[in-house]
Amino acid sequence: MAQARAPAWAIASQSARFVLRERTVALLAVLFVALVLISAWLGWQATATVDRIYLDAAAFLQKTGQPVPANPVLDISPLSLMRNMSVYVALIGALSVIVIGNRLVGLDRKAGVLPLIGIRPFSRATYAAGKIAALAGLILILALISGGVAAVTFLFLPAVVPTAAQWAQLAGFIGISALYMAIFGLVALGAGAAARSETVGLLVPVTLWLTLTFIFPQLTANLNPTAAINPISALAPLPDTPFFHAASQILGPLSLADAYRFASAGLLDYLPPGMGSPAFLPPIADLMLATLFAAGFAWHALTRQSMAQGDYDA
Amino acid sequence: MPDAVLTASPLRTIAAKDIRDALRDRFIVIVTAFLGLAATVALMTGAIALRGDVATYEAAKATLLAIGKAADAIKAPEFYPLRLLRGAIEQIEIIGAAIAILIGYRSAASERGRQTLALIFTRPLSRWQFVAGKALAGLGLLAGGLALVLGGLTLVLQLMSGIGLTADDLLRITIVWAVATAYTACFFLLGFLLTLHMRQPSHALLVAFAVWLLLVLIAPQIGDTLDPDNQVAGGVFRQLNIAKSDQVQIMKGFATYETLRDGIEQASVTKHFERFTFAVLGIKATYAGMPLGPILTEMLGNLVWIFLTALGLGALALAVPINPDRLAKA
Repeated sequence: MAQARAPAWAIASQSARFVLRERTVALLAVLFVALVLISAWLGWQATATVDRIYLDAAAFLQKTGQPVPANPVLDISPLSLMRNMSVYVALIGALSVIVIGNRLVGLDRKAGVLPLIGIRPFSRATYAAGKIAALAGLILILALISGGVAAVTFLFLPAVVPTAAQWAQLAGFIGISALYMAIFGLVALGAGAAARSETVGLLVPVTLWLTLTFIFPQLTANLNPTAAINPISALAPLPDTPFFHAASQILGPLSLADAYRFASAGLLDYLPPGMGSPAFLPPIADLMLATLFAAGFAWHALTRQSMAQGDYDA
Repeated sequence: MPDAVLTASPLRTIAAKDIRDALRDRFIVIVTAFLGLAATVALMTGAIALRGDVATYEAAKATLLAIGKAADAIKAPEFYPLRLLRGAIEQIEIIGAAIAILIGYRSAASERGRQTLALIFTRPLSRWQFVAGKALAGLGLLAGGLALVLGGLTLVLQLMSGIGLTADDLLRITIVWAVATAYTACFFLLGFLLTLHMRQPSHALLVAFAVWLLLVLIAPQIGDTLDPDNQVAGGVFRQLNIAKSDQVQIMKGFATYETLRDGIEQASVTKHFERFTFAVLGIKATYAGMPLGPILTEMLGNLVWIFLTALGLGALALAVPINPDRLAKA
């Protein structure tokens, strides 16, 4: 049994090392980490500005003898400072893992080493398990880095003290972010193995990502693309028409960006009261199911990949 | 005979050949159909949502009249047909730009992949003619694709709105088409330049997508997120019950913050495209019903930014010498 695991481990560690050597992968990973840092700053800066606006507005209202409403910032959970992170996971995080998934298979095919791997004494299932393990490991690293940045931000902001439950929620958010990225990484892995052309292998997951991020939210909630990438605007109430009620329920489970948005807003405490996903499947269950489907696709493509083939056609 | 054609007009020959190639492998047809689908979905869902607003208004009006109150107690939903293009314009600014990068990538990568770049340069044509021919073909494909998409949207709008589009509306859509072509040309040239000059074409595609992410999604998103009114559901001033005039007074104290926020947005050519098109089509409330002339005068800065970006990248494409090491497939 230990002998059967060893080749998969060797494939996983070698593939991960080779992918990390790629400058483009490194560029995207660095960009992702930088944007996670920016998202922490954005959340803090935007909230601090609203607080200062409130203080100015309160002074103005008092001067004119009008009643002063409660400060909206006081209703905001410290976790919601990290709300922009959900946007960057959905944008740059997803794109980074698409590239990682593509390169995990693409590098072997480009180097023409598949026939060489094919004559080794292990099955294609071992090869597939190794590649999926490499992808999972790299996604875990990205998720842990983003979680680390969020945790350090909270520790450095003296005014922000999350409770134990909120730390657990943050861990949950990092978990579902890893799941969301894994969906695209697995599709990229499968497409990279199944496609005859390198470009098609990359374009299939990118098209899926564009469709899920910008077209499905429009169908399920009339959410325009720019609103879909703003964590607050994306949670606008559903238009009250039979079409959107039906579309959000039926297409909701397919609209993975919506599922991730609702799951993130719930875990990071910025979901408006009384609002929830209108889809018939709960968002986290939906993301888990989608990850299983994507893993099935990747497994199918990797185990059926011809080990006799060399470089891509184009 | 082909020699004679090449000598007569190498630029036109290269452009015509690229357009034929793109149409033959159906790539351009597929991506244009994808953009058309995304834009049509946006238009249709916008129209359905508007019908919902109108139905809600009619029901509320009927209730008011039934209890003997005046119907003008509630504000009627405004209907400007061109406003329904908002989602479609946003799809063009995001998906259209991504498609333009792919067209640019394929334009340069195809010659490298087929190992034909070195062969082409043995012919009597200069490097600038090759680059200009390719750029011309890319522009032609983008202009044609966008004309199809916007033409289709205009037709759907005409059929759905029920009030008919005026000549002024059609002129505005034509202006948006021209500017959308210039905007997408920026991303075509980016993809083309990087693919032609980077060692690995696939790396060039990824770098182009990273730039696309930063310019099209991240920079406008940062500006949008920093908008204080987007921090509280429904808007901070609405929640504090502060009138519009008083909002301006309060925001005077945040001039530096607003300048920084605006600066981040201004750095993106996408924001200039959005501001221009939203003004011309009356999507932004302040420009709804306003004559075209004053809008164009006010939006001239955005227009200049878009065209200068496209021209700058075009000039760069012509100026950077092609490295012989980049002639073959990597």
